[in-house]
Amino acid sequence: MRLCGLAVIGFVLCGVAPPLRAASGDPAPALSAASLYNEGNAYARAGKPGLAVLNYERARVLAPADPDIAANLAIVRGAARVSATIPGRMTRLLLLASPNVYAWMGLLGGVLTGAGVVALAATRRWRPAAFVTIVTGTLGVAIAVANVIVWWPTLHAAVIITPEAAVRAAPAPMSDALFSLHEAQIVRIEAEHEGFWLVRTNDDRSGWVAVANLARIVP
Amino acid sequence: MGAVIAHRFRCIAAILCVSLGFAQSAAAAQSVLSAVLSPTQITVGQSAELTVKTLGAGLEAVVLPSVAGLELRIVEQTHHLEMVHGASLGTTTTRVRVTPLAAGVYSLPGLTPSAQPLVLRVSVDDTIGKAPAKSATRAAPARSSVGEPVHLSADGAAFLRLTLPKHEVFVGESVPVEIELGLRPGFVNSLNGLPTLTSADFTLNNLSRQPLRSERVVDGVGFAVLTWHSVIAPVRPGTFTLSVESPITIRQRLRPESEAKLEDQLGDPFLQNIYGKTVKKDIKLASAPVELEVLALPTEGRPATFSGAVGSFRIASELVPDTAAAGDPLSLRMRISGSGNFDRVDSAMLEHLDQWKTYPPKSTFAGSDTVGYQGEKRFEQALIASRPGSATLPPLSFSFFDPVARRYATVTSAALQVTITPAPGDPSAPVPPGPTTQGSSVTGSAAGSPGAMTGGLRPDHAVSESGVRTLRPLVLQAPFLAGSAVLMVGFAAALWRVRRGAGDAADGERRRLRRLSALQRALAAGEAAAQEQDSRAFCVAARELLDAQRASLPNGHRLPPQSQELELLVDAQRYAAAPPIAVDWPRWLETLRGAAGAGEPA
Repeated sequence: MRLCGLAVIGFVLCGVAPPLRAASGDPAPALSAASLYNEGNAYARAGKPGLAVLNYERARVLAPADPDIAANLAIVRGAARVSATIPGRMTRLLLLASPNVYAWMGLLGGVLTGAGVVALAATRRWRPAAFVTIVTGTLGVAIAVANVIVWWPTLHAAVIITPEAAVRAAPAPMSDALFSLHEAQIVRIEAEHEGFWLVRTNDDRSGWVAVANLARIVP
Repeated sequence: MGAVIAHRFRCIAAILCVSLGFAQSAAAAQSVLSAVLSPTQITVGQSAELTVKTLGAGLEAVVLPSVAGLELRIVEQTHHLEMVHGASLGTTTTRVRVTPLAAGVYSLPGLTPSAQPLVLRVSVDDTIGKAPAKSATRAAPARSSVGEPVHLSADGAAFLRLTLPKHEVFVGESVPVEIELGLRPGFVNSLNGLPTLTSADFTLNNLSRQPLRSERVVDGVGFAVLTWHSVIAPVRPGTFTLSVESPITIRQRLRPESEAKLEDQLGDPFLQNIYGKTVKKDIKLASAPVELEVLALPTEGRPATFSGAVGSFRIASELVPDTAAAGDPLSLRMRISGSGNFDRVDSAMLEHLDQWKTYPPKSTFAGSDTVGYQGEKRFEQALIASRPGSATLPPLSFSFFDPVARRYATVTSAALQVTITPAPGDPSAPVPPGPTTQGSSVTGSAAGSPGAMTGGLRPDHAVSESGVRTLRPLVLQAPFLAGSAVLMVGFAAALWRVRRGAGDAADGERRRLRRLSALQRALAAGEAAAQEQDSRAFCVAARELLDAQRASLPNGHRLPPQSQELELLVDAQRYAAAPPIAVDWPRWLETLRGAAGAGEPA
């Protein structure tokens, strides 16, 4: 039990202290769903759908259930004639809160599971309660892991931010252009090589795109 | 420089020759009605066509001008009979192939005194070895087959000709074709069906109901020609040989062909049939095979919205009316015009538009030719705005494959502005945000920016102070992962500790039981030795019990006096020859039991 106490103290020092330090005067700019959403609106009004979609997607990482973000994202995509995949019901359930909330939920689930297991091993007096704690904690961990799986493609996704992006056969500027991508289109990044990203589209076409033509949703 | 001078000399010589030729043909040109040169701009290696229409039923040759650097050759003459004010008027159309020998600007004199000279511009073909240029290929219509020989049937009674504008097409591409069936009067009894394709790898649209009728002279023999226009489309890639066939009934001459020359000299079919004997015979007349290479549509660069349209198309859109009240329907129209397979021209228009109710579009096609190859397809979709304000409808786009450029293309219409006024009698209708209202950036700041979205966006949010430094989820941040790992290690250590403590307790109990069992066995052995008065066995048991008693004592404590006496006795027994305890067994046995009781493990 003394070890558990030490672990909690260590976690607080390692995991919580940096954000607290950041909040207390770190020069790094603070990102919020509202600021990213407003930035997306500004780009949409300026006729830059690629940057608008990029900022809306980033805002959605922090506030996935915000209806305004979803609405404006649909409008900009519709105007740019770019299609988007519609998430399923289970996916929508897993996107009710931000990934950070699910991360804390997973950590709490891990703590409950660990405490339940230790209690079960130490004494037989509270056996049912320990079982309930273990099941609850495991459920929390499972939900957190599922949320990570749902968000995983977004972590490797990028948005085309230029009106046209040539997709080339090789990572070289003089390479043959296979096809072109439209602004605001979302692609999956698979590799990187000397200023080019190997991207794959939703319809399973792939090729190399210059880094200047696209931006990662999660940098 | 030399080339320029030579070119000028050539032009001057051409004009002089044309003037001389015009003087010579002035007399013969009295009956010329019209002369058309098409196209007027070609490249070296291509030919233009000069169509001369003359008055008169005779098929006498038109006196063609002689132009240096141009080769003029009559390839076809067709006779037509027209009724004008009740009087028959015969005209003859002569098609002349004009082939330049070098680049330059050539002038053909007008074939009538009042006609303007015809100018032909010939440039050097710079597309050799390159992809086919858009204009060059498009300028080559079905007429590119001018001069192709006509293959007569075996007895010369009829001919069937299939004319294609090109010999390399893509799967699904609509190719306009011309099918000509020439029937020699008096030698063809009946036409038993429409021409059909011999290959199942192509689809042939319905032939025009009424074929064009004309007359033509082939090898000095007059034919009545029926011409159908249609469109074929290949269904799979490969190299194919294409031809058409048509069932007809002919009158076959019984006399050998070598002896039938006299019959051919008799222009009137009645006289021909009287002079020569014929029998009826059903045949399938086939055209000369045409080789056609069909290419597959490339998969690279295929737009997601590509629906199979192949051709050349343009797009335009409009919204009618551009001002309406909320709840009133508006009509969004998209027009796709051009040439190609319009049956594959499709669009879902606007499937979803926020703040708008959209309905499925309807489409109509209006062809500008008889075969549906050229025309305009119109899509019309009803829209109803649910909120007043100024809105921008997104541009509509359409993707197709351009066989000339050999790549996919997407044409996009312009975005459409519309003003929606509040519905009459609806005081609850939301007022459109103005430029001075907070969050009115929906309509405010984007003026003048091309492609800017000025309508439909939801307003900005209030920004709070809190935020995160990075968008990376916590689960991928090192501090969070390290903290979680520390927690997990702590729980693992606690679990290990708990399990280890439980294991130690169990081991001690087992050791205690084993020790107790050994003491009981030693006490039993001592009691048995005392009973049998076996001092040696008694001392062995006593030594074991005394060791156990000493081990159970705390550090620094000594054995009780009786036990010390017994230990001395045991040592004496161990090292002396005679056992001294033989006489007082009960006392030593009692001492032994005491040692056993003291030596029991706790």
